[in-house]
Amino acid sequence: MWLVSLQKDISLDDRIVWDYWVENARTAPENEAIIHWVAGEEPYRWRWRALMMSASFYASYLQAQGIKKGDVCAIIIRHNRDFYPLYMGISALGALPSVLAYPNPRLHPDKFRFGLEGMARRSGLDWVLTEAELEPIVRPLLLRQGSTIGGIFTPMEWGEKMEGVKEQFEHPEVTPNEPCLLQHSSGTTGLQKGVVLSHSAVLEHVKRYGDSVGLGEWDKIVNWLPLYHDMGLIAAFYVPLTAGIPVVQIDPFEWVVAPILLLEALSQEKGTMSWLPNFAYNLLADRVHEEDLETIRLDSVRMIINCSEPVRAESHDKFFRRFSSYGIKREALAACYAMAETTFAATQTAAGTPASEISLDREMLSEGIVRLAKKNDEARICVSSGPPISGCDLRIVDDSGKDIPEGRVGEIAIRSVSLFTEYRNSPDKTAEVLKDGWYFSGDYGFLHRGECYVIGRKKDIIIVAGKNIYPEDIEDAVSQIKGVLPGRVVAFGIEDISTGTEQICVVAETREENEEEKKRLRMVIIEAGMQIDITISRVYLVPPRWLIKSSSGKPSRRENKERALALEI
Amino acid sequence: MITERLKKVILGELNLDDYYFQDSTTANLVPGWDSLKHIAILASIEKEYGIRFKSLEVIRLKNLGQLQELVARKVEEESERKGE
Repeated sequence: MWLVSLQKDISLDDRIVWDYWVENARTAPENEAIIHWVAGEEPYRWRWRALMMSASFYASYLQAQGIKKGDVCAIIIRHNRDFYPLYMGISALGALPSVLAYPNPRLHPDKFRFGLEGMARRSGLDWVLTEAELEPIVRPLLLRQGSTIGGIFTPMEWGEKMEGVKEQFEHPEVTPNEPCLLQHSSGTTGLQKGVVLSHSAVLEHVKRYGDSVGLGEWDKIVNWLPLYHDMGLIAAFYVPLTAGIPVVQIDPFEWVVAPILLLEALSQEKGTMSWLPNFAYNLLADRVHEEDLETIRLDSVRMIINCSEPVRAESHDKFFRRFSSYGIKREALAACYAMAETTFAATQTAAGTPASEISLDREMLSEGIVRLAKKNDEARICVSSGPPISGCDLRIVDDSGKDIPEGRVGEIAIRSVSLFTEYRNSPDKTAEVLKDGWYFSGDYGFLHRGECYVIGRKKDIIIVAGKNIYPEDIEDAVSQIKGVLPGRVVAFGIEDISTGTEQICVVAETREENEEEKKRLRMVIIEAGMQIDITISRVYLVPPRWLIKSSSGKPSRRENKERALALEI
Repeated sequence: MITERLKKVILGELNLDDYYFQDSTTANLVPGWDSLKHIAILASIEKEYGIRFKSLEVIRLKNLGQLQELVARKVEEESERKGE
């Protein structure tokens, strides 16, 4: 097991990720690597020997198709047991796998293609590996002038073609500082940034993050998160596979319809760890039937780690109340602060203790001052995301980038051995956030007794169910609707306590005064959101010149949010 | 054929005044019906009809027509169970 060898050899020497996978297959060929879970079926159990053989077949076949070191391979494939060896095969060639979200059926094919084209241009996608069903939608991109895409493959159809292929392929020379993978931020405009991570960043992270959560051979991770998300890809793919820990992979599309699947997998497989965005705590607590829990036991679970959305104390409480009688322990409720730019986690609460909570004076906090709430103060309970993990330093800075004292809220800046290399092909964007080895996260937070509390964002990103949504994407889509005044739209998120995540609201100016017509326009706005795979929960139609402009001349999201919400009172 | 009763539950959950539902209608076509809403709609249907869906049953649903059939079957099973 890798963890065993790690204890003997702390330095990561010159190995790359593939070398660790080979080592795992050599030392424990019959150990389970990935348990591929499909509702209503026997799980498919990949053992190390078979997984690596399959990965080698894919590598060999991909090499024969022309895929080589440094190529970026976009993978757009749903839950499939052959996804894993395919991904690993790409990595074996020194190419950069980049998992992209399979389009939701509501997303208009033109919007999907437009987004992919923009991404291809910015990130320099060389190959697209997808499913036969999606191939006709992607194919036109190949023919566009100046397209970077060299070919489109449907590897899940290769079964017979791969017969007779040898599992040998030519190993390229890859050093640890060279790129390992490419991750993309969310969005639909094609302006998504591609985060390049090196082998050493990933391996350092696996080692140090593994230490911070006390990862050991007794662990088994259970995951429903999509692998295009950094939390799914790093915490539930690279961490277990590189450390030689088994992982259960659940279909995200099935999980969201039947959240009980996570509890079934944890119970049946005796899972020990799982990472969840905050909304999932509410969904599990509220939407699972008591009778479905009859055979569920969660005593094996030692950590459920809350990440990728603001951590809400009431979600932890609700989850604990609901599942404590099934074996969930309070100390299992952990949290971390993570982002793709630091590979994954920058901070993590300690294993075996619940995430700390502090009650702060809400008014003082809104002025950037951290002061414990007194008896009659209106309080905001903040949940800790823990201290920095090893190899990671945190600073809290003001708008000019200068350190501010403890007890004040500021932007969180991070220095880490697992920092990203660059935003691919975007030196300007990289330079905006990466300065003197520090990554300026755009998140607001504070340090208290050495632990990090994240309380807001500098930018107006909306986070719905762990997915980052840029208000610009919504505003652009709504601005194009007939009846809406162009450029006179703002989108923002509001906290929804019942679901533990945010809801999207839109304020749009219109000259329309007829109530029936306004009703129709509201529906068209909601449908425009659907076409970019965004659910707009509330639409406020307002008369011309209602929106307040900021100093830049554009409508101010913050001020108009307050104004729109006041309409309801 | 989607019954008025089922339609009313769905519209209520989606906060819509009306929508033309057909057997072939899929959730992704209906304004506001996303994956988070989906589970809330199913819970409202369960409450309205006094039935319980199994996870596999809901995972396999492809359209409104299948949902309507599932509801009818569950209601029948429930009344048989109570009759015993």
